[in-house]
Amino acid sequence: MTEAVYAAKCTTCGAVSYAKHLICPKCRGEAFQPVAIKGEGTVLSYTDVYALAIDYDVRFLRLAIVELDGGLRVTGQLLDADPKLGKRVRTTVGVVRETGGKATHGLQFMPA
Amino acid sequence: MRPVYIVGAGMTRFGRSDFSLVDLAGTAGLAALHHAALSKVPVDAVVVANMGGSRINRQTALGSALVDRLALYPAAAEAVENGPASGASAAKIGFQAIGSGMADVVLVVGVEMMRAVDGLEGTDFVASLSHPEVEYIYGVTLPSLAGLFTRLYMDRYGVERKHLAMVAIKNHEHAMHNPYAHIHQPITMEGILTSPEAVVNNPPVADPLCLFDCCPVSDGAAAVVLASKEIADRLGGARVRIAGIGQATDTHAVHEREDPTELRAVRLASQKAFAMAEAKPGDVDVVELHDAFTILEIAESEAAGFFKRGEARKAIERGETRFGGHLPINVSGGLKARGHPVGATGVAQLVELVWQLRGEATGRQVEKAKVAYACNFGGFGNNVIATVLRKEER
Ligand SMILES: [Zn+2]
Repeated sequence: MTEAVYAAKCTTCGAVSYAKHLICPKCRGEAFQPVAIKGEGTVLSYTDVYALAIDYDVRFLRLAIVELDGGLRVTGQLLDADPKLGKRVRTTVGVVRETGGKATHGLQFMPA
Repeated sequence: MRPVYIVGAGMTRFGRSDFSLVDLAGTAGLAALHHAALSKVPVDAVVVANMGGSRINRQTALGSALVDRLALYPAAAEAVENGPASGASAAKIGFQAIGSGMADVVLVVGVEMMRAVDGLEGTDFVASLSHPEVEYIYGVTLPSLAGLFTRLYMDRYGVERKHLAMVAIKNHEHAMHNPYAHIHQPITMEGILTSPEAVVNNPPVADPLCLFDCCPVSDGAAAVVLASKEIADRLGGARVRIAGIGQATDTHAVHEREDPTELRAVRLASQKAFAMAEAKPGDVDVVELHDAFTILEIAESEAAGFFKRGEARKAIERGETRFGGHLPINVSGGLKARGHPVGATGVAQLVELVWQLRGEATGRQVEKAKVAYACNFGGFGNNVIATVLRKEER
């Protein structure tokens, strides 16, 4: 059982944002509804980072910015052994960080 | 707004320090006060820039602590935390205080002691400026944001690893002539890019960025004394005016920017600073950019208006941004080699430019420098302050 990750959709103008805003950056609206982030998209950029934050016992993390079909952009972890710019990926939800035994769920991307 | 002058500048050597955070700040502050030769004039206010003292050095209320260390009571005092742009933020607050008439003399000190903790904790402390819910949870660190930015920038604008290396080699060479720089180590294209040993010497940090694309982790402090025209007139020496300051913000999450390769806040802050200064990028003689990563020197030089988009790499190839070139960038060594004690950096940029405009940058003096520009880049470009300084003839 995986938990969903949500973006916020402005009920006034329909703009969708992963980062939470209390005022819509597009139309200044103040009402939002959650929408689950899912589906496919393309890799806008990626990096293998060796300068890690605390909580990670790995040699490197592969991170990406993905542009989902429909235009929403998100940051997440790229689980792809052969990453390329523009490559098609699909989103899943997994544990992206564990702090003191507490797991945080977030977006992961697999080859489509 | 009353005109505001920088009448004194000083700093500690960047690197590793055994001082306490307060002593480090005090040492730079004292050097700037000596440089200003202001012993008979009271300091009205003290502004200290620092990002991590409360977390990594367990020291809060640095403004009050510094007033006490330098016996500047009853001066007004505060500390400013604005991420990596804290230094220029503190200078801006001093500028506003004098410009508004609330103060005549303000001491601005930037300080950071990052080597008090190990590399992992230091990296995580800086990463805590990223978006908590959509970046930090994934293991995003500042190098990773820079890596994501670099891959896209290289793809779109023809920047190659060799251009990044040229920036690093240039700034290391510049720092050889700056006694205050953290790194005094010349590097070569063979050593960091083209020889078989380069992969060992220069391992990836956040690919395509490697070790020599990233600034070191430094301790250090830098200080400037700001004064009203009346005070500046009483002092000797060349007069350096803060001709313009501009600040702009952008989205917290990098992925949310319409064009994630555009440093919009750099562009807007620079436009504001140049407008206030009644100057244009073409008037500038010497530049300090926030090259926490080599790609940022390239991208900022374009966003600030010195080069068109995609053209900076050509200027670098032609040597224009080297000492002796048409537009010398980071003659101090920049963050890359002078070092990057986060809260101190924005002030250290101003210190270098004041020395340049006063003709006191021994060993690296840019001839006939009259107009100078600095970019202090906070977050990953979500809070940027640009400053234009101008030398005024007496
Ligand atoms: Zn809206």
